Amino acid sequence: MSETNFKGTSEYIASEQLLAAVNIAIALQKPLLVKGEPGTGKTMLAEAVAKALGKKLIIWNIKSTTKAQDGLYVYDTVQRLYDSQFGGENVDDIAHYIKLGKMGEAFKSDEQVVLLIDEIDKADLEFPNDLLWELDKMEFYIHETKETVTAKTRPIVIITSNAEKELPDAFLRRCIFHYIEFPTPEQMEEIVKAHFETIDDDLLHEAMKAFYEIRKMRDVRKKPATSELIDWIQALNLGGIPLDKIQKELPFVGVIVKKDEDLETIKKNRIGY
Amino acid sequence: MFTPFFYILKAKGLDVSTTEWLTLMDALDKELCGASLTNFYYMARMILVNSETDFDKFDKAFLEYFKGIKATDKLPAKYKRWLETEEQENELNRLMKPEDDYNYLMQNKDDKDKKKVEEMFRERKAQQNTRHDGGNQWIGTNGTSAFGHSGKAPGGIRMSGKTGMQSAFAVIDEERYRDWRIDKALNYRQFQVAFRRLRQYSSRLDVPKTEFDLDKTVDKTCDNGGYLSIEYSQPRKNTVKLLLLFDSGGTMIPYMHLCNNLFKAVDKANHFKDVKTYYFHNCIYSHVYKTPECEDGDWVSSDWLFRNLDADYKVVVVGDMQMAPEELYDKDGNYRGPNDGFSGYEWLKLYKKHFKRIVWLNPAKHDYAKLMDWMQAEAAIQDLFPTYKLSVKGLNDAIKKLMNPAAL
Repeated sequence: MSETNFKGTSEYIASEQLLAAVNIAIALQKPLLVKGEPGTGKTMLAEAVAKALGKKLIIWNIKSTTKAQDGLYVYDTVQRLYDSQFGGENVDDIAHYIKLGKMGEAFKSDEQVVLLIDEIDKADLEFPNDLLWELDKMEFYIHETKETVTAKTRPIVIITSNAEKELPDAFLRRCIFHYIEFPTPEQMEEIVKAHFETIDDDLLHEAMKAFYEIRKMRDVRKKPATSELIDWIQALNLGGIPLDKIQKELPFVGVIVKKDEDLETIKKNRIGY
Repeated sequence: MFTPFFYILKAKGLDVSTTEWLTLMDALDKELCGASLTNFYYMARMILVNSETDFDKFDKAFLEYFKGIKATDKLPAKYKRWLETEEQENELNRLMKPEDDYNYLMQNKDDKDKKKVEEMFRERKAQQNTRHDGGNQWIGTNGTSAFGHSGKAPGGIRMSGKTGMQSAFAVIDEERYRDWRIDKALNYRQFQVAFRRLRQYSSRLDVPKTEFDLDKTVDKTCDNGGYLSIEYSQPRKNTVKLLLLFDSGGTMIPYMHLCNNLFKAVDKANHFKDVKTYYFHNCIYSHVYKTPECEDGDWVSSDWLFRNLDADYKVVVVGDMQMAPEELYDKDGNYRGPNDGFSGYEWLKLYKKHFKRIVWLNPAKHDYAKLMDWMQAEAAIQDLFPTYKLSVKGLNDAIKKLMNPAAL
């Protein structure tokens, strides 16, 4: 596991446990399932792994309408029908109408790639089950051309989930599971610093104080996360807000809190200020 | 290797499969965790456990199996023994010298509270002469005293572990993952997730034809003498219809937030074919109310419900079943409105007869209601309807029951 050992990157600060999870998943050739609050950097992890290991990243974004088949290949029947009608070229060649999906692309790649299956929980409940064989054996069969696509090198598979839905057991059993906890203030400081070349320490501390205070408010429904904090600091930085105003007035608070009811809650909670 | 651990995990309710266990063995073969118990803990957890709700169970099993094994963390030997073994207390107490402990503690403490803790520690040391686990005063484990480890005192001294990659035992004893345990009460998101499971697909619906139908297209095209004729069909749609009945009686006030979340989750879930919500006060009688205020007149009659909502509606009743026996059994037991000739119990039976699939969610469900005289009403209703506690697990079970009455 020495040549493919992930140690984090200058932009991506990972906890030791997460690093261990990535490396164990790579060593055991199993998909790594990463769960955690939105905004804790699940998607960025794949980018960081790809960058650190110098591999190409293929992202398969899952939506509510995505089907497992879409990731493997799509047979464009309608196009073929039209072509047959109007005499297009290569109509006889079914392969011409087989378009590989993201997973197929990852399998066909000559070099090992990092395959990110992003937000798998967005899809239908049965979606992960439909991928069991493909993830296990790293191969799939194209009925139309009677061709079996086998991965030349097993891709490093990283799957993220926002825990919106329970994933099926059979699928979970095949994964290495890691839950990203919300960063502690110390880790957060490191993370924020990795995103800015120069950042005023006082500004950072003031912003973080306010940020964690908002997270602590029990009634806030959509808790702000790392990405929101980074955007906020960016805004504060560009806006040139005086330090003493950050805690008192929460300028640009819309960047961290996005729901009307949450803004109300914060106002109520901060009457003392 | 570690086979007993496998069975302890199973006994703790963790559904570990043989495949996962073999994966762990494979990982051990490849020496992925080195010789560190802590790394082993994390590795085993990431392979064997699939959900953060189960971390707690895993921790308990791990502690049971590995208790007493020497961890490699830097910890004064006698503390380690003290904290990890259950025996030889007297000997340990004899060995214990206050100064050593004090020095160790001070190294591990922020400057901030040093003075205060220092004072308290001296004082406490002077008075303590036995081992203590689980108090709120003395130095030991599991208590709320500021000294020791595994305690709940927020500003106290931690006697083992460090930040970052923590010692396995330290991590465990904190039970940090307890919040995610499945039997905890629900938040809004979890409600939504649970309700998404409530679905049944059908294509016999009056929705526009938007999905390309390959088979039909081929048939039609053939019929058409080879000229292409594309056919579309209806997409699959959820056919579940839901009737929600909320108790808005006085005893439900503590659960308002919970009910509010449940209501919102159903309201936001747009995958049901139809959702109807009505309210009642303590027990369901001849009328259900349109608003939680339960005002006379602002209601629909139960008979109307039976006429207008067919038996296919799945019914979820949310209520704490807290009522006097008369409210349930008397033919004029409804002190807020009409009974219309039936007792509450009889009305409930009518509901049961009409709607084939009813579950009752009780935020304060008592498992032993039958044994308590004063919970007569609750026991009777539990007999009538499948009842579940309003928690993550309860709601999931309830929904399974709604989908498949033979289940559970």
